[in-house]
Amino acid sequence: MALPRLTSLLLTSLLVLALPPAFADNLITAADTSVNTDGWGDDDWGDEEEDKQSPFSGFIEIAYGTRTKSNPWLDRNDTLNEARLRLEYSDYFGQFYFGYKGDFTVDDLTWDGPFIESKTREALLRFSPSENSDLYLGRQVLTWGTGDLLFLNDLFPKDWVSFFAGREMEYLKAPSDALKFSYFNPLANIDLVWTPKFDSDTFIRGERFSYFSPLANDIVAAPPRLSTEEPGSKLDEGELAVRVYKNINGNEWALYGYHGYFKTPVAFNPKNGLNYFPKLSSLGASVRGTVQGGIGNMEVVWYQSEDDRDGSDPFIPNSQLRFLSGFERELITRLTLSLQYYLEWTQNYRALKKYSPLPDKEPEEYRHLITTRLNYRAYQDKLTLSLFVFYSPTDDDYFAMPKVTYRLSDTWSSEIGMHLFGGTDDYTFFGQFEENSSFFARLRYSF
Amino acid sequence: MKGFSKLLALIALLGTTAATSAEESDVELIVSKANHIAFYQGNDGRAESRMLITDGGGNKQVRQFTILRKDHSGSDDADQDFLVLFSRPSDVRNTMFRVIKHIGKSDDRWLYLPGLDLVKRISSGDKRTSFVGSHFFYEDISGRSLSADQHELLENTDQYYVVKNTPIDPTSVEFAFYTVWIDKQNWMPTKTEYTDNAGKIYRRIEALEVKDINGFATATRMKASDLRSGGATLTEMRYISYDIGLPDEVFSERSLRNPPQQWFKRK
Repeated sequence: MALPRLTSLLLTSLLVLALPPAFADNLITAADTSVNTDGWGDDDWGDEEEDKQSPFSGFIEIAYGTRTKSNPWLDRNDTLNEARLRLEYSDYFGQFYFGYKGDFTVDDLTWDGPFIESKTREALLRFSPSENSDLYLGRQVLTWGTGDLLFLNDLFPKDWVSFFAGREMEYLKAPSDALKFSYFNPLANIDLVWTPKFDSDTFIRGERFSYFSPLANDIVAAPPRLSTEEPGSKLDEGELAVRVYKNINGNEWALYGYHGYFKTPVAFNPKNGLNYFPKLSSLGASVRGTVQGGIGNMEVVWYQSEDDRDGSDPFIPNSQLRFLSGFERELITRLTLSLQYYLEWTQNYRALKKYSPLPDKEPEEYRHLITTRLNYRAYQDKLTLSLFVFYSPTDDDYFAMPKVTYRLSDTWSSEIGMHLFGGTDDYTFFGQFEENSSFFARLRYSF
Repeated sequence: MKGFSKLLALIALLGTTAATSAEESDVELIVSKANHIAFYQGNDGRAESRMLITDGGGNKQVRQFTILRKDHSGSDDADQDFLVLFSRPSDVRNTMFRVIKHIGKSDDRWLYLPGLDLVKRISSGDKRTSFVGSHFFYEDISGRSLSADQHELLENTDQYYVVKNTPIDPTSVEFAFYTVWIDKQNWMPTKTEYTDNAGKIYRRIEALEVKDINGFATATRMKASDLRSGGATLTEMRYISYDIGLPDEVFSERSLRNPPQQWFKRK
């Protein structure tokens, strides 16, 4: 196991060397200026001829994660074992902004695909068609809403595998291939996002992590991995998301709408035995502002399960009302506490119970969830200690994430942490992942 | 006799009160002028800044950012809008910090993290903590409310007014008092020293270079020193301009995602 890891690291280094000369030069310049800073050489203000700083940047990272105990359904104990090169480019061409972010990864845990996996995270063109509008075109990461690791109105794709494995938090948000149009005016600002081809979440499908399958009525893992019907690729099978928002006296108000699909394959087609992404429409609202020396937020959303409005189809989720309320404030200097209360209220619950093949394993009609985040910064913000805990009194399960982040310098940073899942039952939201509890560590060199 | 001494005491008391209030108004004028020079020149402004952070062990870090600032109209040396766009180091590149500074209530702060496309609202918390990992505090950058301290003119030399500032709420700060040297020529606070409860000076902020920019005296090189750890941060400001006509709309969520080049780009 040690050998592939070493090889992957070497290969990543080779990748850097194999870059086009101009790119490599720029990388070296960028790295040099950030290291050679003693005595303030006047060069790196980017004065006159040299103009601005290099448009290139990125990082190299190695990451390793392993289970806290062996998983009876999966052979391998490592949950993360990879070396990654990230390249970024961003610059303006007149009024046009272009941004590129690409990941080149050697992942010892991928099942198929090439040895060096390349993924474009961003390929974005941005410009302002008029004085009060912006257009974002291409691959981009999109986020809105007020929750902390709880997403109600944010139905942009997430990468749960990256999140569970302990990759940097950035990777929790997967990119969308979308067109975003923003219109600004004193009455209210509008964001309209059209994703022509549905982008699902990267969901747990049994490769790194085992999960509870209602079909098997047991914990399962790959092989075989969870397979799904391919989402449709016709234009009317895409996603449309809208946000209308306004800041009134320091309070940020927003209304949201979405028309598309559930982001994970929560429906099952008994005809072909495959899971699929059922139709979803949503409507919601949020507000965020300062309360009692801290930040308070509230968010609500109605999920309309379009193909199971009366809740009678046991293979398609019912409609839900979801509610979130949160508060964050600094308790003592550099120590911040955040609390969230979250509710999922399943509609037509009697029908759900009546038709469900596993009525005893369905979540309760009102599923309550409480989250706590403690964050402490020390040593000139170089060290961050954080603890995030999800706890559901109705499911009687939890997910705890203690983390230590240390920024050794402007170029070197590291993070170690744990993901601890547990619960009374093996079929609840977090309880099903109990055998996937893990440690992880990452070391990053930024340039 | 008893009544007479009481009267004397009263007269004496009145006398001191009168003297104090005259002195008080002088010193209030001095600190408010210095506050204006340090934080409120022009109606708006733009500057590029870089910080060299050296810790006690000699390890160095860099921060580079561009600041846009606009004073709220109708408020005299009070509320202000700020946008701070980071360009270095590379792990915070394109991160934007937005602040609405309020006098008399807590500031509104947002942080935009481009990697997540996340507009994070942050509770304003203690303003006497490190600004972006440097030895400067938030309060050193955006100013400390004048009404938070009692001001006393310690010395009136040829060159400086030396003012002692004692916190009204000592529990809210880490210092017992701080002393400011205000240059009589331009009202620039050129040196500030913080004294702890043991009577020891443990922190110093100095203006190492003051330049005239568009007619405004501006500190272009500043140093914050932590005398306990031996660490210090040197800040340099360049490409400074005042009264550039920043529109209100620039200070908005739109700018976090799409930094307005018209104002951020170096001219």
